Amino acid sequence: MADKNSCAALYHTHEQAEEAVRALQKTAFDVKKISIIGKGYHHEEHPIGFYDTGDRVKFWGVQGVFWDGVRGLLLGAATFWVPGLGPVVMAGPLVTSLVDALKGTVAVAGLSALGAALHSISIPKDSIIHYETALKSNHYLIIVHGDQKEAERAHGVLAASEPIDVVIHLS
Amino acid sequence: MEPKSPFFKESIQCLMQSPLFSSLAPSVIEEMITHCRRETWKRRRLLPMNETWQRFHILLSGRVRLSRSNPETGRMITLFLLGPGDPFCIFSLLDGKPHDVMLETLDDTSLLSLPMEEARQWLSDHPEFNCTLLPYLGEQMCNLAGLAADLALHDTETRLARLILRHVDTTALQQKHISPHLINNLSNESLAEMIGSVRVVVNRQLQHWKQEGIIDTHRGYLRVEKLDDLAQLAELRLARTAGTAPATL
Repeated sequence: MADKNSCAALYHTHEQAEEAVRALQKTAFDVKKISIIGKGYHHEEHPIGFYDTGDRVKFWGVQGVFWDGVRGLLLGAATFWVPGLGPVVMAGPLVTSLVDALKGTVAVAGLSALGAALHSISIPKDSIIHYETALKSNHYLIIVHGDQKEAERAHGVLAASEPIDVVIHLS
Repeated sequence: MEPKSPFFKESIQCLMQSPLFSSLAPSVIEEMITHCRRETWKRRRLLPMNETWQRFHILLSGRVRLSRSNPETGRMITLFLLGPGDPFCIFSLLDGKPHDVMLETLDDTSLLSLPMEEARQWLSDHPEFNCTLLPYLGEQMCNLAGLAADLALHDTETRLARLILRHVDTTALQQKHISPHLINNLSNESLAEMIGSVRVVVNRQLQHWKQEGIIDTHRGYLRVEKLDDLAQLAELRLARTAGTAPATL
């Protein structure tokens, strides 16, 4: 289960999101506490998927390089088809929360499995709706988990990386 | 918060409806919000003021209560109940010190937060803000004086009646049923903590008024059915104690 406090930032492009993750890494953030979520595709005509040819699981799609790079940086990764959102690719501690939500151990009325996972880390419903809408619009969400001080420190880094929005969520 | 944030307009609208900020020009409010960061706090977040006093906060949604308690008895008194548009840590803004107050969120809340030093700088850069800040502080002091007077001079029934009446929208007096704002859906224990009483006493009083048709309660929601009777209850008690009815509650 991820920490209950977090700092969440939305980005227009995967380049901006990757830059933000690297900025966090440069300022000595524990990469095990960073999650990133995005949709796996921009256009329905491109195939997406993941495969394992004996080396390690790799992402197939127009953003394969990005997601494989992110997987190399962060802890854990997953690709799910979430009803209402479509294919969602994520990496980091939030994967555990989403798995719990999909298994039904975390359920919140009126929220999708992804929404329930976000709710389980103290993100309020109105922000969840906002994040889901942004993800549907192919934006990227970075979440830094931790205690209040870590969330505040992350805010300082992420706010400087030109996000659409950056918010501290405290439990 | 950056102007491109989807919550930027919402924040401006909230502050423009706040008595403290509504008289400021929209451009001044916008400039202030750009200095702030947005935070959300979960319901039932409980923290002492010495963890928050170094930042100035403005509520955008949800309710926060500021209270003091006696650790030996567990008794608690609510000093302020704040809603959207209200600031907190405002006394620390003025004197630069932490205060012995416990802060608790009653709902999931969202708020704007900025370092106290920046808030002070903003205050000195915008002296026009003082035109609204001073009356706001005066009102807060009046509320505290009212609470002290209520606790010292009035019985529980009067204090509860006055509490409800203080939260009734005076523009809605012509309506048949009036729901008080801010205190609605609070537990009886929380209501008791606002008037220096205990849950069982408040519960008994509300049930009594409900039987008399003065109020109606349903799943924690309170509705005043006979506003005049409730006002009369408070005024009768006041007339007996002080000899005259107060200008305000």
